[in-house]
Amino acid sequence: MQKIMIIEDDPVIRQELSLLLETEGYQAWAVTDFASVPDQTMVYAPDLILLDLGLPGQDGWSVCAAIRKRMQVPIIFVTSRDSAMDELRALNLGGDDYITKPYNIPVLMARIKTVLRRTGKGGEAEILEACGLRLHLTRGTLEVQGQTAELTRNEIQILACLMKRCGEIVSRADLIDTLWDNQIYIDDNTLSVNMTRLRTKLAHLGLSDCIRTRRGLGYQL
Amino acid sequence: MTFSEFLSDRMEQIIRKLATAGGSAFFLLACGTQPGVILLLFTILLLVQLFALILEFQRCRSRLAELEAVLQGLDQKYLFAECAPLPRTCYEKRLFALMRRAGRSMTSAVSDAQTSQKEYREYVESWVHEIKTPITAARLICQTLEGEARRKLLAELTQIDAHVQRALFYARAESPEKDFLIQKTPLASLVAAAIQEHQALLIQNNIRLETKDLEHEVYTDRKWAIFVLGQLLQNSSRYRSETPFIILEALHLGNQIQLLVRDNGIGIPSHELARVCQRGFTGTNGRSRGGSTGMGLYLCQKLCGFLEIDFSISSEEGTGTTVLLTFPAKKNLTKL
Repeated sequence: MQKIMIIEDDPVIRQELSLLLETEGYQAWAVTDFASVPDQTMVYAPDLILLDLGLPGQDGWSVCAAIRKRMQVPIIFVTSRDSAMDELRALNLGGDDYITKPYNIPVLMARIKTVLRRTGKGGEAEILEACGLRLHLTRGTLEVQGQTAELTRNEIQILACLMKRCGEIVSRADLIDTLWDNQIYIDDNTLSVNMTRLRTKLAHLGLSDCIRTRRGLGYQL
Repeated sequence: MTFSEFLSDRMEQIIRKLATAGGSAFFLLACGTQPGVILLLFTILLLVQLFALILEFQRCRSRLAELEAVLQGLDQKYLFAECAPLPRTCYEKRLFALMRRAGRSMTSAVSDAQTSQKEYREYVESWVHEIKTPITAARLICQTLEGEARRKLLAELTQIDAHVQRALFYARAESPEKDFLIQKTPLASLVAAAIQEHQALLIQNNIRLETKDLEHEVYTDRKWAIFVLGQLLQNSSRYRSETPFIILEALHLGNQIQLLVRDNGIGIPSHELARVCQRGFTGTNGRSRGGSTGMGLYLCQKLCGFLEIDFSISSEEGTGTTVLLTFPAKKNLTKL
Protein backbone atom coordinates (compact mmCIF):
# COMPACT_ATOMS: atom_id res chain seq x y z
CA MET A 1 0.00 0.00 0.00
CA GLN A 2 1.30 3.44 -0.83
CA LYS A 3 2.00 5.77 2.04
CA ILE A 4 0.92 9.38 1.90
CA MET A 5 2.04 11.87 4.48
CA ILE A 6 -0.20 14.84 5.23
CA ILE A 7 1.44 18.01 6.53
CA GLU A 8 -1.46 20.31 7.27
CA ASP A 9 -2.26 22.49 10.27
CA ASP A 10 -6.04 22.48 10.12
CA PRO A 11 -7.22 19.54 12.25
CA VAL A 12 -10.52 19.03 10.39
CA ILE A 13 -8.84 18.84 6.99
CA ARG A 14 -6.15 16.61 8.42
CA GLN A 15 -8.67 14.16 9.78
CA GLU A 16 -11.03 14.15 6.80
CA LEU A 17 -8.23 13.93 4.28
CA SER A 18 -6.73 10.94 6.11
CA LEU A 19 -10.11 9.24 6.08
CA LEU A 20 -10.61 9.95 2.42
CA LEU A 21 -7.16 8.73 1.42
CA GLU A 22 -7.70 5.55 3.39
CA THR A 23 -11.00 4.85 1.65
CA GLU A 24 -9.19 5.42 -1.64
CA GLY A 25 -6.75 2.68 -0.74
CA TYR A 26 -3.75 4.63 0.51
CA GLN A 27 -2.09 4.52 3.87
CA ALA A 28 -2.35 8.02 5.28
CA TRP A 29 -0.33 9.54 8.06
CA ALA A 30 -0.90 13.07 9.31
CA VAL A 31 1.78 15.12 11.02
CA THR A 32 0.59 16.70 14.27
CA ASP A 33 3.89 17.96 15.63
CA PHE A 34 5.35 20.56 13.32
CA ALA A 35 8.63 21.03 15.13
CA SER A 36 10.55 18.25 13.42
CA VAL A 37 8.77 17.57 10.18
CA PRO A 38 11.85 16.58 8.13
CA ASP A 39 12.91 14.03 10.79
CA GLN A 40 9.46 12.54 10.88
CA THR A 41 9.55 12.29 7.11
CA MET A 42 12.73 10.26 7.31
CA VAL A 43 11.18 7.90 9.82
CA TYR A 44 7.88 7.45 8.02
CA ALA A 45 9.40 7.30 4.52
CA PRO A 46 6.24 8.17 2.58
CA ASP A 47 5.68 7.64 -1.13
CA LEU A 48 4.12 11.07 -1.43
CA ILE A 49 3.78 14.18 0.71
CA LEU A 50 0.84 16.60 0.72
CA LEU A 51 2.30 19.82 2.06
CA ASP A 52 0.41 22.90 3.21
CA LEU A 53 2.26 26.19 2.83
CA GLY A 54 0.85 27.95 5.87
CA LEU A 55 2.18 25.95 8.79
CA PRO A 56 2.47 27.14 12.38
CA GLY A 57 5.90 28.45 13.25
CA GLN A 58 7.43 28.03 9.83
CA ASP A 59 6.40 28.13 6.23
CA GLY A 60 6.04 25.25 3.85
CA TRP A 61 8.92 26.52 1.71
CA SER A 62 11.55 25.80 4.32
CA VAL A 63 9.94 22.48 5.19
CA CYS A 64 10.02 21.51 1.53
CA ALA A 65 13.65 22.55 1.18
CA ALA A 66 14.62 20.62 4.34
CA ILE A 67 12.86 17.47 3.17
CA ARG A 68 14.37 17.79 -0.29
CA LYS A 69 17.83 17.99 1.21
CA ARG A 70 17.41 14.59 2.84
CA MET A 71 15.31 12.53 0.50
CA GLN A 72 13.75 12.44 -2.93
CA VAL A 73 10.04 12.08 -2.36
CA PRO A 74 7.27 13.54 -4.50
CA ILE A 75 5.74 16.60 -2.87
CA ILE A 76 2.39 18.10 -3.76
CA PHE A 77 1.79 21.57 -2.39
CA VAL A 78 -1.75 22.07 -1.16
CA THR A 79 -2.40 25.63 -0.20
CA SER A 80 -4.84 28.49 -0.10
CA ARG A 81 -2.20 30.88 -1.40
CA ASP A 82 -2.79 31.05 -5.09
CA SER A 83 -0.67 33.80 -6.56
CA ALA A 84 1.32 32.97 -9.65
CA MET A 85 4.56 33.74 -7.82
CA ASP A 86 3.84 31.26 -5.05
CA GLU A 87 3.14 28.57 -7.58
CA LEU A 88 6.31 29.27 -9.51
CA ARG A 89 8.33 29.24 -6.32
CA ALA A 90 6.81 25.93 -5.24
CA LEU A 91 7.67 24.28 -8.52
CA ASN A 92 11.16 25.76 -8.48
CA LEU A 93 11.73 24.34 -5.03
CA GLY A 94 11.11 20.91 -6.44
CA GLY A 95 7.40 20.51 -5.77
CA ASP A 96 5.81 18.00 -8.11
CA ASP A 97 2.43 19.70 -8.23
CA TYR A 98 0.62 22.67 -6.79
CA ILE A 99 -3.04 22.49 -5.86
CA THR A 100 -5.02 25.39 -4.46
CA LYS A 101 -7.70 25.15 -1.84
CA PRO A 102 -10.58 24.65 -1.98
CA TYR A 103 -9.91 21.77 -4.30
CA ASN A 104 -12.32 19.37 -5.90
CA ILE A 105 -11.82 16.01 -4.26
CA PRO A 106 -11.74 14.04 -7.55
CA VAL A 107 -9.16 16.52 -8.87
CA LEU A 108 -6.95 16.01 -5.84
CA MET A 109 -7.19 12.25 -6.21
CA ALA A 110 -6.39 12.41 -9.89
CA ARG A 111 -3.35 14.62 -9.24
CA ILE A 112 -2.09 12.26 -6.54
CA LYS A 113 -2.41 9.36 -8.96
CA THR A 114 -0.65 11.26 -11.72
CA VAL A 115 2.28 12.25 -9.52
CA LEU A 116 2.63 8.70 -8.17
CA ARG A 117 2.58 7.29 -11.69
CA ARG A 118 5.01 9.88 -13.01
CA THR A 119 7.47 9.25 -10.22
CA GLY A 120 7.26 5.53 -10.83
CA LYS A 121 5.53 4.77 -7.57
CA GLY A 122 2.66 2.90 -9.15
CA GLY A 123 -0.72 4.16 -10.14
CA GLU A 124 -3.84 2.99 -11.82
CA ALA A 125 -3.94 -0.51 -13.17
CA GLU A 126 -4.19 -0.88 -16.92
CA ILE A 127 -6.55 -3.79 -16.68
CA LEU A 128 -9.66 -3.71 -14.58
CA GLU A 129 -11.20 -7.02 -13.61
CA ALA A 130 -14.56 -7.39 -11.88
CA CYS A 131 -17.82 -9.31 -12.14
CA GLY A 132 -16.29 -11.67 -14.69
CA LEU A 133 -15.32 -8.85 -17.07
CA ARG A 134 -11.82 -7.84 -18.12
CA LEU A 135 -11.48 -4.24 -19.24
CA HIS A 136 -8.27 -3.06 -20.90
CA LEU A 137 -8.26 0.65 -20.12
CA THR A 138 -5.39 1.56 -22.42
CA ARG A 139 -6.40 -0.66 -25.33
CA GLY A 140 -10.07 0.13 -24.97
CA THR A 141 -11.25 -3.44 -25.24
CA LEU A 142 -13.51 -5.62 -23.17
CA GLU A 143 -12.80 -9.32 -22.76
CA VAL A 144 -15.39 -11.87 -21.68
CA GLN A 145 -14.64 -15.57 -21.82
CA GLY A 146 -12.19 -15.28 -24.69
CA GLN A 147 -14.38 -12.92 -26.72
CA THR A 148 -13.44 -9.26 -27.13
CA ALA A 149 -15.29 -6.11 -28.09
CA GLU A 150 -14.01 -2.61 -28.76
CA LEU A 151 -15.52 0.17 -26.68
CA THR A 152 -15.62 3.92 -27.16
CA ARG A 153 -14.12 6.35 -24.65
CA ASN A 154 -17.49 7.06 -23.05
CA GLU A 155 -18.40 3.38 -22.83
CA ILE A 156 -15.09 2.52 -21.20
CA GLN A 157 -15.57 5.13 -18.51
CA ILE A 158 -19.16 4.07 -17.84
CA LEU A 159 -18.22 0.42 -17.59
CA ALA A 160 -15.12 1.14 -15.51
CA CYS A 161 -17.19 3.12 -13.05
CA LEU A 162 -19.72 0.28 -12.74
CA MET A 163 -16.97 -2.32 -12.43
CA LYS A 164 -15.18 -0.42 -9.68
CA ARG A 165 -18.36 -0.58 -7.66
CA CYS A 166 -19.33 -4.08 -8.77
CA GLY A 167 -22.59 -5.21 -7.22
CA GLU A 168 -23.44 -1.76 -5.92
CA ILE A 169 -26.11 0.50 -7.35
CA VAL A 170 -24.51 3.45 -9.12
CA SER A 171 -26.81 6.42 -9.61
CA ARG A 172 -27.02 8.21 -12.95
CA ALA A 173 -25.79 11.36 -11.28
CA ASP A 174 -22.70 9.53 -9.98
CA LEU A 175 -22.01 8.18 -13.47
CA ILE A 176 -22.31 11.64 -14.97
CA ASP A 177 -19.99 13.02 -12.28
CA THR A 178 -17.38 10.39 -13.01
CA LEU A 179 -17.53 11.02 -16.74
CA TRP A 180 -17.17 14.75 -16.22
CA ASP A 181 -14.16 14.10 -14.01
CA ASN A 182 -12.66 12.44 -17.08
CA GLN A 183 -13.52 15.41 -19.28
CA ILE A 184 -16.43 13.74 -20.97
CA TYR A 185 -19.21 16.28 -20.71
CA ILE A 186 -22.39 14.31 -21.22
CA ASP A 187 -25.90 15.13 -20.17
CA ASP A 188 -28.71 12.87 -19.07
CA ASN A 189 -29.86 12.00 -22.60
CA THR A 190 -26.40 11.22 -23.90
CA LEU A 191 -25.85 8.92 -20.94
CA SER A 192 -28.97 6.96 -21.90
CA VAL A 193 -27.76 6.67 -25.49
CA ASN A 194 -24.31 5.49 -24.39
CA MET A 195 -25.85 3.04 -21.96
CA THR A 196 -27.99 1.50 -24.70
CA ARG A 197 -24.94 1.12 -26.97
CA LEU A 198 -22.90 -0.42 -24.17
CA ARG A 199 -25.68 -2.89 -23.45
CA THR A 200 -25.90 -3.85 -27.12
CA LYS A 201 -22.16 -4.55 -27.18
CA LEU A 202 -22.42 -6.60 -24.00
CA ALA A 203 -25.35 -8.50 -25.50
CA HIS A 204 -23.14 -9.42 -28.48
CA LEU A 205 -20.75 -10.98 -26.00
CA GLY A 206 -23.61 -13.00 -24.56
CA LEU A 207 -24.17 -10.79 -21.52
CA SER A 208 -27.57 -9.36 -22.25
CA ASP A 209 -28.75 -8.53 -18.72
CA CYS A 210 -25.38 -7.74 -17.36
CA ILE A 211 -26.22 -4.15 -16.42
CA ARG A 212 -29.49 -3.97 -14.58
CA THR A 213 -31.58 -0.82 -14.36
CA ARG A 214 -32.79 -0.19 -10.85
CA ARG A 215 -35.72 2.11 -11.38
CA GLY A 216 -35.32 5.38 -9.54
CA LEU A 217 -31.94 4.36 -8.15
CA GLY A 218 -29.50 3.80 -10.97
CA TYR A 219 -27.56 0.97 -12.53
CA GLN A 220 -26.09 -2.18 -11.11
CA LEU A 221 -23.53 -4.52 -12.61
CA MET B 1 -4.28 84.00 -21.09
CA THR B 2 -5.01 86.35 -23.93
CA PHE B 3 -3.92 89.98 -24.09
CA SER B 4 -7.49 91.24 -23.71
CA GLU B 5 -7.94 89.14 -20.55
CA PHE B 6 -4.71 90.59 -19.26
CA LEU B 7 -5.91 94.12 -20.06
CA SER B 8 -9.26 93.63 -18.42
CA ASP B 9 -7.44 92.47 -15.28
CA ARG B 10 -5.50 95.77 -15.24
CA MET B 11 -8.34 98.01 -16.37
CA GLU B 12 -8.64 99.73 -12.98
CA GLN B 13 -4.93 100.54 -12.96
CA ILE B 14 -5.03 101.85 -16.55
CA ILE B 15 -8.02 104.08 -15.87
CA ARG B 16 -6.31 105.43 -12.76
CA LYS B 17 -3.18 106.25 -14.77
CA LEU B 18 -5.19 107.94 -17.53
CA ALA B 19 -7.06 110.00 -14.95
CA THR B 20 -3.78 111.10 -13.33
CA ALA B 21 -2.34 111.97 -16.74
CA GLY B 22 -5.51 113.93 -17.63
CA GLY B 23 -5.32 115.80 -14.29
CA SER B 24 -1.64 116.64 -14.82
CA ALA B 25 -2.33 117.85 -18.38
CA PHE B 26 -5.07 120.15 -17.11
CA PHE B 27 -2.71 121.48 -14.42
CA LEU B 28 0.11 122.05 -16.93
CA LEU B 29 -2.29 123.78 -19.34
CA ALA B 30 -3.44 126.03 -16.52
CA CYS B 31 0.18 126.81 -15.69
CA GLY B 32 0.67 127.99 -19.29
CA THR B 33 2.57 125.08 -20.81
CA GLN B 34 2.22 124.91 -24.56
CA PRO B 35 -0.32 122.29 -25.78
CA GLY B 36 2.30 120.85 -28.22
CA VAL B 37 4.68 120.03 -25.35
CA ILE B 38 1.86 118.42 -23.38
CA LEU B 39 0.89 116.30 -26.41
CA LEU B 40 4.51 115.18 -26.85
CA LEU B 41 4.84 114.32 -23.16
CA PHE B 42 1.58 112.46 -23.36
CA THR B 43 2.63 110.40 -26.35
CA ILE B 44 5.93 109.44 -24.72
CA LEU B 45 4.18 108.51 -21.50
CA LEU B 46 1.64 106.41 -23.39
CA LEU B 47 4.34 104.54 -25.32
CA VAL B 48 6.35 103.82 -22.18
CA GLN B 49 3.27 102.55 -20.37
CA LEU B 50 2.24 100.41 -23.31
CA PHE B 51 5.69 98.93 -23.57
CA ALA B 52 5.72 98.15 -19.85
CA LEU B 53 2.31 96.50 -20.13
CA ILE B 54 3.38 94.30 -23.02
CA LEU B 55 6.51 93.31 -21.15
CA GLU B 56 4.54 92.36 -18.09
CA PHE B 57 2.11 90.40 -20.20
CA GLN B 58 4.97 88.46 -21.73
CA ARG B 59 6.42 87.71 -18.33
CA CYS B 60 3.08 86.53 -16.95
CA ARG B 61 2.50 84.34 -19.93
CA SER B 62 5.88 82.65 -19.84
CA ARG B 63 5.50 82.07 -16.09
CA LEU B 64 2.13 80.42 -16.65
CA ALA B 65 3.57 78.31 -19.47
CA GLU B 66 6.39 77.21 -17.18
CA LEU B 67 3.96 76.16 -14.43
CA GLU B 68 1.78 74.41 -16.98
CA ALA B 69 4.78 72.43 -18.21
CA VAL B 70 5.66 71.38 -14.66
CA LEU B 71 2.09 70.18 -14.13
CA GLN B 72 2.08 68.32 -17.41
CA GLY B 73 5.25 66.52 -16.44
CA LEU B 74 3.84 65.33 -13.14
CA ASP B 75 2.44 61.86 -12.74
CA GLN B 76 0.49 62.71 -9.62
CA LYS B 77 -0.96 66.15 -10.32
CA TYR B 78 -1.80 66.80 -6.70
CA LEU B 79 1.90 67.03 -5.89
CA PHE B 80 2.12 70.21 -7.99
CA ALA B 81 2.70 72.58 -5.09
CA GLU B 82 5.72 70.55 -4.01
CA CYS B 83 7.33 70.63 -7.43
CA ALA B 84 6.50 74.08 -8.82
CA PRO B 85 9.39 76.61 -9.17
CA LEU B 86 9.59 79.06 -6.31
CA PRO B 87 7.79 82.40 -6.73
CA ARG B 88 9.61 85.72 -7.04
CA THR B 89 7.25 88.40 -5.82
CA CYS B 90 6.17 88.78 -2.26
CA TYR B 91 2.47 88.52 -3.08
CA GLU B 92 2.97 85.43 -5.18
CA LYS B 93 5.02 83.92 -2.36
CA ARG B 94 2.11 84.28 0.03
CA LEU B 95 -0.32 82.75 -2.44
CA PHE B 96 2.11 79.94 -3.02
CA ALA B 97 2.43 79.25 0.69
CA LEU B 98 -1.35 79.04 0.94
CA MET B 99 -1.53 76.63 -1.97
CA ARG B 100 1.17 74.51 -0.41
CA ARG B 101 -0.69 74.26 2.86
CA ALA B 102 -3.85 73.21 1.05
CA GLY B 103 -1.83 70.78 -1.06
CA ARG B 104 -0.17 69.23 1.96
CA SER B 105 -3.45 68.61 3.64
CA MET B 106 -4.76 66.98 0.47
CA THR B 107 -1.61 64.90 0.02
CA SER B 108 -1.92 63.52 3.49
CA ALA B 109 -5.64 62.82 2.95
CA VAL B 110 -4.81 61.01 -0.30
CA SER B 111 -2.05 58.97 1.27
CA ASP B 112 -4.31 58.07 4.22
CA ALA B 113 -6.95 56.89 1.76
CA GLN B 114 -4.36 54.92 -0.18
CA THR B 115 -3.05 53.27 2.94
CA SER B 116 -6.49 52.33 4.17
CA GLN B 117 -7.39 51.00 0.74
CA LYS B 118 -4.24 48.94 0.66
CA GLU B 119 -4.86 47.63 4.15
CA TYR B 120 -8.41 46.75 3.20
CA ARG B 121 -7.22 44.93 0.11
CA GLU B 122 -4.68 43.02 2.15
CA TYR B 123 -7.36 42.14 4.66
CA VAL B 124 -9.70 40.92 1.91
CA GLU B 125 -6.91 38.82 0.45
CA SER B 126 -5.96 37.25 3.76
CA TRP B 127 -9.61 36.74 4.60
CA VAL B 128 -10.12 34.93 1.32
CA HIS B 129 -7.20 32.68 2.12
CA GLU B 130 -8.58 32.02 5.60
CA ILE B 131 -12.04 31.14 4.37
CA LYS B 132 -10.63 28.65 1.91
CA THR B 133 -9.58 26.30 4.69
CA PRO B 134 -13.09 25.78 6.10
CA ILE B 135 -14.49 25.47 2.57
CA THR B 136 -11.95 22.76 1.85
CA ALA B 137 -12.78 21.02 5.11
CA ALA B 138 -16.50 21.18 4.28
CA ARG B 139 -15.81 19.71 0.85
CA LEU B 140 -13.91 16.85 2.42
CA ILE B 141 -16.70 16.22 4.91
CA CYS B 142 -19.20 16.20 2.04
CA GLN B 143 -17.25 13.34 0.56
CA THR B 144 -18.39 11.12 3.42
CA LEU B 145 -22.04 11.90 2.68
CA GLU B 146 -24.09 10.01 0.14
CA GLY B 147 -26.40 10.86 -2.72
CA GLU B 148 -28.56 13.92 -3.11
CA ALA B 149 -27.52 15.74 0.05
CA ARG B 150 -23.88 15.59 -0.99
CA ARG B 151 -24.61 16.87 -4.46
CA LYS B 152 -26.67 19.76 -3.16
CA LEU B 153 -24.13 20.70 -0.51
CA LEU B 154 -21.32 20.55 -3.03
CA ALA B 155 -23.28 22.86 -5.32
CA GLU B 156 -23.77 25.31 -2.44
CA LEU B 157 -20.09 25.13 -1.56
CA THR B 158 -19.24 25.84 -5.17
CA GLN B 159 -21.47 28.91 -4.96
CA ILE B 160 -19.68 30.11 -1.83
CA ASP B 161 -16.38 29.51 -3.53
CA ALA B 162 -17.50 31.48 -6.58
CA HIS B 163 -18.41 34.48 -4.42
CA VAL B 164 -15.12 34.26 -2.56
CA GLN B 165 -13.20 34.08 -5.84
CA ARG B 166 -14.95 37.18 -7.12
CA ALA B 167 -14.03 39.08 -3.96
CA LEU B 168 -10.42 38.03 -4.35
CA PHE B 169 -10.20 38.96 -7.98
CA TYR B 170 -11.94 42.26 -7.33
CA ALA B 171 -9.26 43.08 -4.79
CA ARG B 172 -6.58 41.93 -7.19
CA ALA B 173 -7.87 43.83 -10.18
CA GLU B 174 -7.04 47.04 -8.30
CA SER B 175 -3.30 46.41 -8.39
CA PRO B 176 -2.76 43.58 -10.81
CA GLU B 177 0.99 43.88 -11.36
CA LYS B 178 1.49 42.00 -8.11
CA ASP B 179 0.52 38.64 -9.37
CA PHE B 180 -0.04 37.52 -12.80
CA LEU B 181 2.28 35.57 -14.91
CA ILE B 182 1.85 35.18 -18.65
CA GLN B 183 2.82 31.71 -19.76
CA LYS B 184 2.29 29.48 -22.72
CA THR B 185 -0.73 27.40 -21.76
CA PRO B 186 -2.77 24.77 -23.58
CA LEU B 187 -6.23 26.20 -24.18
CA ALA B 188 -7.84 22.81 -23.60
CA SER B 189 -6.45 22.63 -20.08
CA LEU B 190 -7.79 26.09 -19.25
CA VAL B 191 -11.24 25.11 -20.43
CA ALA B 192 -11.10 21.76 -18.62
CA ALA B 193 -10.08 23.44 -15.36
CA ALA B 194 -12.85 26.03 -15.62
CA ILE B 195 -15.42 23.32 -16.34
CA GLN B 196 -14.13 21.23 -13.48
CA GLU B 197 -14.58 24.09 -11.05
CA HIS B 198 -18.18 24.47 -12.11
CA GLN B 199 -19.00 20.84 -12.68
CA ALA B 200 -21.62 20.63 -9.94
CA LEU B 201 -23.39 23.74 -11.19
CA LEU B 202 -23.37 22.65 -14.83
CA ILE B 203 -24.58 19.11 -14.14
CA GLN B 204 -27.24 20.33 -11.76
CA ASN B 205 -28.65 22.53 -14.48
CA ASN B 206 -28.46 19.65 -16.95
CA ILE B 207 -26.39 21.64 -19.40
CA ARG B 208 -25.09 19.97 -22.53
CA LEU B 209 -21.51 21.00 -22.96
CA GLU B 210 -19.51 20.78 -26.14
CA THR B 211 -15.86 21.53 -26.65
CA LYS B 212 -14.43 21.87 -30.15
CA ASP B 213 -10.93 22.29 -31.60
CA LEU B 214 -9.28 23.35 -28.39
CA GLU B 215 -5.84 21.95 -29.27
CA HIS B 216 -4.12 25.31 -29.30
CA GLU B 217 -1.73 27.11 -27.04
CA VAL B 218 -2.30 30.60 -25.77
CA TYR B 219 -0.21 33.11 -23.86
CA THR B 220 -1.99 34.07 -20.70
CA ASP B 221 -2.13 33.75 -16.94
CA ARG B 222 -3.72 30.44 -16.09
CA LYS B 223 -5.55 31.39 -12.96
CA TRP B 224 -6.98 34.61 -14.30
CA ALA B 225 -8.09 33.03 -17.55
CA ILE B 226 -9.75 30.17 -15.68
CA PHE B 227 -11.54 32.69 -13.49
CA VAL B 228 -12.82 34.57 -16.56
CA LEU B 229 -14.02 31.36 -18.22
CA GLY B 230 -15.66 30.35 -14.96
CA GLN B 231 -17.63 33.59 -14.85
CA LEU B 232 -18.88 32.93 -18.37
CA LEU B 233 -19.93 29.38 -17.48
CA GLN B 234 -21.73 30.69 -14.41
CA ASN B 235 -23.58 33.26 -16.49
CA SER B 236 -24.55 30.69 -19.10
CA SER B 237 -25.87 28.41 -16.36
CA ARG B 238 -27.77 31.15 -14.61
CA TYR B 239 -29.43 32.57 -17.72
CA ARG B 240 -30.14 29.23 -19.36
CA SER B 241 -33.07 28.24 -21.53
CA GLU B 242 -35.24 25.12 -21.35
CA THR B 243 -32.76 22.80 -23.08
CA PRO B 244 -29.48 24.52 -22.33
CA PHE B 245 -26.18 24.00 -24.08
CA ILE B 246 -22.80 25.71 -23.97
CA ILE B 247 -20.28 25.39 -26.77
CA LEU B 248 -16.63 26.25 -26.27
CA GLU B 249 -14.82 26.49 -29.54
CA ALA B 250 -11.47 27.84 -30.66
CA LEU B 251 -10.90 29.75 -33.90
CA HIS B 252 -7.84 31.08 -35.68
CA LEU B 253 -7.53 34.76 -36.43
CA GLY B 254 -4.21 35.30 -38.13
CA ASN B 255 -1.67 34.27 -35.52
CA GLN B 256 -4.11 34.87 -32.72
CA ILE B 257 -6.38 32.31 -31.08
CA GLN B 258 -9.97 33.13 -30.36
CA LEU B 259 -12.16 31.29 -27.91
CA LEU B 260 -15.86 31.36 -28.54
CA VAL B 261 -18.17 30.67 -25.60
CA ARG B 262 -21.66 30.32 -26.98
CA ASP B 263 -24.88 29.42 -25.20
CA ASN B 264 -28.54 29.21 -26.13
CA GLY B 265 -29.69 31.04 -23.03
CA ILE B 266 -32.27 33.78 -22.63
CA GLY B 267 -29.90 36.38 -24.04
CA ILE B 268 -29.43 40.04 -23.22
CA PRO B 269 -31.81 42.80 -24.42
CA SER B 270 -30.04 44.79 -27.13
CA HIS B 271 -30.37 48.11 -25.31
CA GLU B 272 -28.59 46.65 -22.28
CA LEU B 273 -25.79 44.93 -24.18
CA ALA B 274 -23.50 47.94 -24.09
CA ARG B 275 -23.80 48.20 -20.33
CA VAL B 276 -23.47 44.59 -19.16
CA CYS B 277 -19.77 45.03 -18.42
CA GLN B 278 -20.34 48.04 -16.20
CA ARG B 279 -19.66 47.61 -12.53
CA GLY B 280 -22.80 46.68 -10.63
CA PHE B 281 -25.04 46.53 -13.69
CA THR B 282 -27.61 43.77 -13.25
CA GLY B 283 -30.07 44.37 -16.09
CA THR B 284 -33.62 43.08 -16.45
CA ASN B 285 -32.50 39.43 -16.46
CA GLY B 286 -30.43 39.84 -13.34
CA ARG B 287 -33.22 41.61 -11.52
CA SER B 288 -35.95 39.20 -12.54
CA ARG B 289 -33.93 36.10 -11.61
CA GLY B 290 -32.12 37.47 -8.60
CA GLY B 291 -28.70 36.51 -7.41
CA SER B 292 -26.94 38.75 -9.87
CA THR B 293 -24.11 40.80 -8.42
CA GLY B 294 -23.29 42.82 -11.50
CA MET B 295 -19.65 42.05 -10.90
CA GLY B 296 -18.94 39.00 -13.06
CA LEU B 297 -18.68 40.58 -16.48
CA TYR B 298 -17.19 43.76 -15.07
CA LEU B 299 -14.34 41.72 -13.62
CA CYS B 300 -14.02 39.66 -16.80
CA GLN B 301 -13.54 42.74 -18.90
CA LYS B 302 -11.16 44.32 -16.45
CA LEU B 303 -8.99 41.22 -16.05
CA CYS B 304 -9.02 40.60 -19.80
CA GLY B 305 -7.74 44.14 -20.20
CA PHE B 306 -4.68 43.30 -18.08
CA LEU B 307 -4.15 40.03 -19.90
CA GLU B 308 -4.51 41.83 -23.25
CA ILE B 309 -7.35 39.55 -24.19
CA ASP B 310 -9.89 41.21 -26.41
CA PHE B 311 -13.28 40.68 -24.79
CA SER B 312 -16.41 41.05 -26.86
CA ILE B 313 -19.94 40.01 -26.14
CA SER B 314 -22.89 39.67 -28.48
CA SER B 315 -26.35 38.47 -27.80
CA GLU B 316 -29.83 38.16 -29.14
CA GLU B 317 -32.74 38.04 -26.76
CA GLY B 318 -34.28 34.59 -26.67
CA THR B 319 -31.55 33.03 -28.84
CA GLY B 320 -28.40 33.09 -26.77
CA THR B 321 -25.23 34.89 -25.89
CA THR B 322 -21.77 34.59 -27.41
CA VAL B 323 -18.58 35.79 -25.82
CA LEU B 324 -15.48 36.03 -27.95
CA LEU B 325 -12.10 36.07 -26.25
CA THR B 326 -9.20 36.92 -28.53
CA PHE B 327 -5.94 35.89 -26.95
CA PRO B 328 -2.88 37.97 -27.83
CA ALA B 329 -0.25 36.57 -30.16
CA LYS B 330 3.08 36.18 -28.42
CA LYS B 331 4.83 38.94 -30.28
CA ASN B 332 2.07 41.42 -29.49
CA LEU B 333 2.37 41.02 -25.76
CA THR B 334 3.82 44.06 -24.10
CA LYS B 335 3.93 42.80 -20.53
CA LEU B 336 5.56 39.48 -21.16
